[in-house]
Amino acid sequence: MPIRGLKGGMLKFLSEDDLKAIHIATVEILSEIGVKMEYEPALEIFKDFGAKVDFKNKVVKIGEDLLRKGLASAPSTFTLYGKTEDTDIKVDPQRVYTIGGSSALNVFDLDGEYRPAVFDDLIKFTILLNQMENLHIMHAIVIPSDIEEYGVDRLLFAGTFPYTTRNYYSQSQTGADGVIEQLKMAAVFQGSEDAVRKNPMFTEVVCMVSPLKHEKVNSEVIIECAKNNIPVYVEVDAMPGGTTPAPIAGCLVEQNANVLAGIVLAQLVKPGTPCIYSIASGLMDMTSGGYSGAAPETNLLHCCTAQVAHFYNLPFQGGTGIDAKISDAQAGYERAMQVLSNALAGTNFVHLSFGMMEMMMLASYEQVVIDNEIMGATYRMLKGVEVNDFALSVDLLRKTGHGGHFLNYKETSEYVRKNNWIPKLTNRDPWNTWQMMGSKSMNELAREEAARILKENTEPVISREQTEEILKMAKSYHKQAQERLKKQEGK
Amino acid sequence: MSIDEIKKELYNNVLSGDFELTKELAEKAISEGIDPLEAINSYLIPAIELVGEKFGKREYFLPDLMRSANAMKSALNIFENEIHKSGVERKSLGKIVIGTVKGDIHEIGKSIVAALLSAKGFDVTDLGIDVDSDAFINNIIEKNANILAMSALLPITMPYQGVVIEELKKRGLREKVRVMVGGAPVTQEHADKIGADGYADNAVDAVKLAEKLMAK
Repeated sequence: MPIRGLKGGMLKFLSEDDLKAIHIATVEILSEIGVKMEYEPALEIFKDFGAKVDFKNKVVKIGEDLLRKGLASAPSTFTLYGKTEDTDIKVDPQRVYTIGGSSALNVFDLDGEYRPAVFDDLIKFTILLNQMENLHIMHAIVIPSDIEEYGVDRLLFAGTFPYTTRNYYSQSQTGADGVIEQLKMAAVFQGSEDAVRKNPMFTEVVCMVSPLKHEKVNSEVIIECAKNNIPVYVEVDAMPGGTTPAPIAGCLVEQNANVLAGIVLAQLVKPGTPCIYSIASGLMDMTSGGYSGAAPETNLLHCCTAQVAHFYNLPFQGGTGIDAKISDAQAGYERAMQVLSNALAGTNFVHLSFGMMEMMMLASYEQVVIDNEIMGATYRMLKGVEVNDFALSVDLLRKTGHGGHFLNYKETSEYVRKNNWIPKLTNRDPWNTWQMMGSKSMNELAREEAARILKENTEPVISREQTEEILKMAKSYHKQAQERLKKQEGK
Repeated sequence: MSIDEIKKELYNNVLSGDFELTKELAEKAISEGIDPLEAINSYLIPAIELVGEKFGKREYFLPDLMRSANAMKSALNIFENEIHKSGVERKSLGKIVIGTVKGDIHEIGKSIVAALLSAKGFDVTDLGIDVDSDAFINNIIEKNANILAMSALLPITMPYQGVVIEELKKRGLREKVRVMVGGAPVTQEHADKIGADGYADNAVDAVKLAEKLMAK
């Protein structure tokens, strides 16, 4: 059975009127200012559909008609495929799923050392993340320092896809060629390229630039994904005050214009292409200019963006890394506030919610396990409260009368088994018991748990032969990309 | 407005970052016969130094810093033109070529550093974003630059800072120019690894670093 996630969306900061105002402002921006697209074929596509295109300045102006037409074919429900039936997920604008960390440069390892990530970390992290019951979508959590950077996405594919049952959230750094090569690698497991196109077990992300700019590689990947039925996270990474206006409303307008332009492009290429309205925006810390993924303002922005995406009936990816460096009190409060507010706001994909720290630069093994715990508690909140005759329990209250207790009832046993969240790492012992058990902090427990999981799990989830074959292909693709780059630079 | 008031207002408007008013005041200062060198040294520079100090203490935020730097620059241009007309050259602190490296389109951090450097009195050539090694090197030669400053915000573009340094070596220019690097993922270790002369963690420190490199 595919997974049907719990429903969020009970937390709302914006009124219906606010949302309409944001929509109207977005239409004004899209139709009068437009979006700059560096990729000429994207401009041609828009022109064919009647948009005003300024080829000299590479600006597309999208009128309200075209916006409506594009959005009308963007699906609000679809399936993201895992490698097993019980890892398929049913996406819609209500259900809440999670996505692991992505593209960290450094790791905090199980020996307590902070160091650059290597390829082996990518595999180990993926194996660890794959054991987390609250994780639904797998990213490549690190960019290994022992690989030349151009075309690295092919090797990220080889280090992640074979080791996870979850749908793999990929990226193509070089453009359309990356999408095609990854499709070929997925076909090693899925049997054929057509099988991949039918039930793709990976997705792509494009990260557009604020304000209002799509790089060549963004449009190339969107178009290639649409042609091949690969779902795409159309993402903008805004920094309010820096790359967008400082007020959250102004940031929402910029994000909206930027993302919707990308989604419309996908729909014009192939109506029905699954698109996820995505952000990894973060407050610009005005004391340093740095990115903050965990500021309360960032959380507010993400919650509000969920409402904006849902206004168009589109599934939404929000949430981002936290700022803490170690798994300390800061990490706990940042992660908890972030995932809880996003889940309650109905963020359909709570992004980077496992292991990502230090403003997206650090992946921590122990934090992965801690985040799984925090997510478990969050899901319990999402489950909410049942009110019916069984739950109102008037008969039980009558039966028990004054004093006494409810522990003897079958109903109690059934209810707690079904509803209560049983923590794994959270300690609820009194001081003395906790001391007798070794007075371990949550970090120590998480580190032990991560070490245990990595000791017991070492194999890919697909066959060794397929894993080797994918790695061989990835190395060859990466080498070709490197050669193309050298040729380009040599010119 | 008396001469004393103009001087005081120049100082105050750099502090408050009103660049249009600062420009007007600078023009007024010239027409009132205020010595441009005195205006720079006694009013503009102390004001921008106080701004840097306030930023360090978190009393001023980034937009305040940017606005003050722009105010400073607008007045500086006018005074320097005047000094130039009188046939004297105000000694530039040094010539800097700055840009965000190839493959990287992140502009803000680099622009903040560029604004602060020129406010401080460096002669800054900002090449913008996605700058390849040829563009860096041609500008270093053309401007006879003392310092090359490179920014990278992406882990995958960071190594390109090293590529440019290698290219400088190949062309026999490495000894001619001091290289400073910055950007969110950049560290001192990275700077050491690629053989840069310096690294700064933020814009205010980047200015200090540039001054230090010039003193070497």
